[in-house]
Amino acid sequence: MTGEESAAPTPAGEPPAESSAQPPAYPPPAEPPAPPGGGQPPDRARVFVRDDLHRSRLTVFFRLILAIPHFIVLALFGILAFVLAIVSWFAILFTGKSVGYDMQTRYLRYWTHVYAYVYLAANPYPGFGGEPDSYPVDAVVPPEELPHNRWKTGFRFVLIVPALIMASTLGTIGSLGGSYGNYYSYGFAFSGVLPTAAFLAWFACVIRGRMPRGFRDLAAYCLNYGLQLGAYFLLITDRYPTSDPLYPDYGDGDEIPTDHPIRISEDDDLRRSRLTVFFRGLLALPHIIWLLLWGLVVFFTVVANWFVTLFAGRPADALHRFNGAYVRYLTHVFAYLFLVANPFPGFVGAPGTYPVDLQIAPPERQNRWRTGFRLILVFPAALVAGALGGALYTVGIFGWFVGLFTARMPVGLRNLGVFALRYQAQVNGYVYLLTDRYPFSGPTLEQPPPEAASLPEPA
Amino acid sequence: LSGSPSAGHRALIGVGIAAAVALWIYAFLQLWQTSVPSDLSLPALDPAHYFSQAQIDRASSYQTFLSVDALLALIAQLVALGIYAIKGPGFTRESAAGRIGTGMLLGMLGLAFVWFSQLPFGLAELWWERKHEVSSQGYVTWLIDYFLAAGGEFLFISLALLIVMALTGLWKRWWWVAAAPALVAVTLAFAFVQPYLIPGQHDVHNPAIAADAREIAKQEGIPGTKVTIQDTHNLGGSPNAEATGLGPTKRVILWDTLVQRFPVSQVRVVLAHEFAHLSRDHLWKSFGFMALLALPIALAVALITRRRGGLYEPASVPLAIFVVAVLLFVTLPLQTAFTRRLESEADWVALNTTRDPAAMTGLFERLGRLSRAQPNPPGWDQFIFGDHPSVMQRIEMAKAWKERNP
Repeated sequence: MTGEESAAPTPAGEPPAESSAQPPAYPPPAEPPAPPGGGQPPDRARVFVRDDLHRSRLTVFFRLILAIPHFIVLALFGILAFVLAIVSWFAILFTGKSVGYDMQTRYLRYWTHVYAYVYLAANPYPGFGGEPDSYPVDAVVPPEELPHNRWKTGFRFVLIVPALIMASTLGTIGSLGGSYGNYYSYGFAFSGVLPTAAFLAWFACVIRGRMPRGFRDLAAYCLNYGLQLGAYFLLITDRYPTSDPLYPDYGDGDEIPTDHPIRISEDDDLRRSRLTVFFRGLLALPHIIWLLLWGLVVFFTVVANWFVTLFAGRPADALHRFNGAYVRYLTHVFAYLFLVANPFPGFVGAPGTYPVDLQIAPPERQNRWRTGFRLILVFPAALVAGALGGALYTVGIFGWFVGLFTARMPVGLRNLGVFALRYQAQVNGYVYLLTDRYPFSGPTLEQPPPEAASLPEPA
Repeated sequence: LSGSPSAGHRALIGVGIAAAVALWIYAFLQLWQTSVPSDLSLPALDPAHYFSQAQIDRASSYQTFLSVDALLALIAQLVALGIYAIKGPGFTRESAAGRIGTGMLLGMLGLAFVWFSQLPFGLAELWWERKHEVSSQGYVTWLIDYFLAAGGEFLFISLALLIVMALTGLWKRWWWVAAAPALVAVTLAFAFVQPYLIPGQHDVHNPAIAADAREIAKQEGIPGTKVTIQDTHNLGGSPNAEATGLGPTKRVILWDTLVQRFPVSQVRVVLAHEFAHLSRDHLWKSFGFMALLALPIALAVALITRRRGGLYEPASVPLAIFVVAVLLFVTLPLQTAFTRRLESEADWVALNTTRDPAAMTGLFERLGRLSRAQPNPPGWDQFIFGDHPSVMQRIEMAKAWKERNP
């Protein structure tokens, strides 16, 4: 193991420490901060990140090959965990207590380490023991809550289906499948949010030797979901996985573009009207038609704005306002369509009129090169937006069922929807020349920066 | 100058109203005219000569269920909209849109109420049709189709409310005068493009039918009118045809089940009937009739919703929908009577064109058997729902034509 590979996280900007005799420690926060938005108990399985974004070009280039030994160990470990889960299933049904909690948590921790490594969320080569606090992207599994609910355990294989679908959207099911899934689940490993982010991050890391913060956080978020799904599947917990992107602990706020010109705000009370939920797709039809008609005009205004920005160095005010209103309207309509918000939106994309709203900064100077090659530059972001679009569809479909039965939207689904909408709005804003700032793919833009005192000092 | 109108002013208003009513009646009578001879009396024929008693009994049992189901569905719709008229304004809190957008939402939600109210009756109808092998459509397919069909209705009411509520912004009291023609104009636009929205159409491949179509269209004074075949054999139901479109888009559409299963002489009658709808401007007459109905209905809506601030206020939309539904229900017999007259005229023109009453008799005998239509439905049924003459009335018309043209 090289020093670079085993480096402990360092304050941003400082080079990683050289090799040390003792394995570095990555302590979790003393008490995980409660996720914003409330509604979720803080005692679920959770990923926490203490990574400095530095990446070794060499290990990134050969990352998949380097991970082969881990895949073998993980597969064997996974078989053991699966067998133990079956035994545990019977044990819980009869006694209310699971079997092999410590080993299952160790397996999940090891799984998190390995896939954080594979998907470039962390740099050092992970150890084979799944030791706690031994890796920059680590898993905290809460103590076992006893007794387990026998009903939830008995029907676990049915109850887990929506979470599996969500995991496949996020791209974590393939990696889980690699451990204890079936042969066909390998197919999912090449689709979804996580593989898309990792694929793009691979190029960034090889070129820059540094992981973009957005991709790192996005990968951590997906791994967090996979971790929770694993804990649920292996009967460590009865708590259903939450898709809330604000739930994981992403560490410090460095490199998070809190001044991005396109931001999203959310003021939704999670209440949903069953009637409008049932007919949501049809109720949105007038908006979809209006979007298409408005979009035809926007095509020409964007082209016009491209020429203006290219020659004048900044967009025209009127075109910026017009295209900005369209992007905001698009966000309102999609928030409504995918149940991220409840009220029927207006038709003009006026700011401050909708619970899920966009704040678009006034026009500012833009780099002419970035303007000229905008359609090429946007390609990676468009890939991520496509993957997050799949997540948004899943949010809409699950939200439809849940909203219909409970008249409420789960906070996790809502927040995932807000994140996906924000990213897509930033991509649209980038294409429509509202800004030349690149979209930020991390879910952390929606997360208030943590209090400095609550963050642990890096080791 | 007390603010109340003077006697002269009131008289002027009275004269104006009387003139408007007289104009309305004159226009209605003009539309009511058809080319069917006014002195034509239909001979009373015995259905037993054309249908076996078992067929008549089966058709009676079959149609009675459907008619009662349809009547109950209408009543359920009114009840649902009545409840919505009371509860509907509460849904304004589900909207972050402006005045018109909120009105559109409330309009669509009103139709959502109707959707739910009609669901059991639609399912009952499907169950009955499947039981009698008139339809082979599955329940799930039907449900999906029924749900998606609501999308078209949602769009229509959104557009209608967009127009009406925009007009209320311009003329808060007199919007109804402009609303009726505006809505008819929208319907006209829809009718213009409708032929392009009907799926599964192709040209006529049968040269005999294509030649007949050309000849009949020429005979009826609309040469060159397009005829297409629609693939409906997977949908179930009895064979049918329709005349659709306006101006350059008008066409006759024959269902493939009709072309494949009926003799050419009977297809000729159908062609002549559908061409008659086009040559006699029945679509235009229908729109004229719709405009005549829309005007007083819009006035009634304006007067009744006034206490809620008129249709300018989105909270009035549920009540407005209820008023429209009630008035359409009350005028339903008038609407069906008007349509029956147009259908009778199309039959008469078809007889004059084809000069083949035997083919028409055979056609309606067969169609009646396939659709399990009651040869002579009860009076109340025909009064409310009969938008076509009954099977026996059509056969009797063929007989009457033959007597006049020996």
